[in-house]
Amino acid sequence: MTIGISIALILSSLLMILLVLLHKGKGGGLTDMFGGGFSSSFGGSSVVERNLDRLTIITGTVWFVCIIALGLLLKP
Amino acid sequence: MLTALTRAFRTPDLRKKLLFTLGIIALFRLGSVLPTPGVNAENVRTALEQAQAGELGNIYGMVQLFSGGALLKLSVFALGIMPYITASIILQLLTVVIPRLEALKKEGQAGTAKITQYTRYLTIGLAVLQSTAFVALARSGQLFQNSAELPVLLNDDIFTVVTMVITMTAGTAVIMWLGELITDRGVGNGMSILIFTQIIAVFPSELMNIFRSRGWFTFAIVLIVGVFMVAAVVFVEQAQRRIPVQYAKRMVGRRMYGGTSTYIPLKVNHAGIIPVIFASSLLYLPQLVVTLFANSTTPNVVVEWIAQNLATGDTPIYMATFFLLIVFFTYFYVSITFNPVEVSDNMKKYGGFIPGIRPGRPTAEYLNYVLTRLTAPGSLYLGVISMVPIFALALAGASQNFPFGGTSILIMVGVGLDTVKQIESQLQQRNYEGFLR
Repeated sequence: MTIGISIALILSSLLMILLVLLHKGKGGGLTDMFGGGFSSSFGGSSVVERNLDRLTIITGTVWFVCIIALGLLLKP
Repeated sequence: MLTALTRAFRTPDLRKKLLFTLGIIALFRLGSVLPTPGVNAENVRTALEQAQAGELGNIYGMVQLFSGGALLKLSVFALGIMPYITASIILQLLTVVIPRLEALKKEGQAGTAKITQYTRYLTIGLAVLQSTAFVALARSGQLFQNSAELPVLLNDDIFTVVTMVITMTAGTAVIMWLGELITDRGVGNGMSILIFTQIIAVFPSELMNIFRSRGWFTFAIVLIVGVFMVAAVVFVEQAQRRIPVQYAKRMVGRRMYGGTSTYIPLKVNHAGIIPVIFASSLLYLPQLVVTLFANSTTPNVVVEWIAQNLATGDTPIYMATFFLLIVFFTYFYVSITFNPVEVSDNMKKYGGFIPGIRPGRPTAEYLNYVLTRLTAPGSLYLGVISMVPIFALALAGASQNFPFGGTSILIMVGVGLDTVKQIESQLQQRNYEGFLR
């Protein structure tokens, strides 16, 4: 049981990293931070981006549930 | 002020943005207190309490500040946004050194997007490194000085450890995503709002610590000093020199264009708090070296010297280095972000000039001259403000993470001002009275 959830957690973590990296970065780096530069928020998101968002949210939920489940299982 | 707030909430799309931001912040805080599976949360709590009662080894000062106490709790979001900040700093520095990155930066929007993408990859790489190092520290019991009898991990077989490392790395990725979501659909810049949240989160407990250990008199003095410092920081942050620019009148067809006079605002502190972050991150390296080599049996002269002079915040050498680094990085960062030649070229293109100065090279030289002189007090101010916690340490006996410490105050005020300004500009699309009058 514990090993199964651990493996699920590892898989969902890896998927999560991959999905986040697939997003187009909108952070803008440090230049935007702390009151420098212009924040350019251009337009809405495309269909691909919206589907990616949905996938990321689903994966994130699975990831979160895995963490809580594993945390409860491992509790002494 | 309050009416402006209610008006902000009455505007439908602004309300949506504000609520979205608050929701993300709540999620973020939740992840910061949720322990990573495999961590013995109770042992961690007792060890933390013991460490706080005693002298907490200040190895993680900056990282701990940016993670809002999540780091030593070994939570899912333990690393916070430190990997992202470090990655941004590294890429910023590399753009000066590597010609290909410099070319990318000059390309404009597409090139900047590519650099951002590199930053994201580097963030994940750094997160893997840092989480591995961190979990290894926790496993060997070096995380807290007194954790020999309190094992931090539940069981330390390799499988659990690997799961923890991967979970923390994914946590960093999630934080990055949350920050980008705020930038995209919420209010303000996501990353800086997340830092802001983490600093605010530890603020009350730090204040209570002072109240409990020092009594109400010191507490009151700290509060008063804090209010004055916030006022001073706001004052300097808002200060700018306005260089007048006159645009020539042009006839295009039958219309008159131009003929307006505006100004270039040059801020006294043009670099923001980035120099402080740069300097702190750089000075974090010697401490890292010391922790890595401290256990070797043969005492090394260099390591010994570093441990004595650079690893703690209260030696004169550390203070002087910190101050000089901040001044240096202020000039460095201003020179990166503001290019006088480019500005003067742009002005010339659109028929603008500074009264009394020829367009072209003389204008660039003039701008450079003004900016250099303006940055001098700016950099000294940054250095002095970030020295405050160290003096507070000496005078009031407060801890290094003194709540009104320089870096945290600079970040709080900077991010707060920025976010309020953004909300205000959104409000002004509907009606003219905003927060700041």
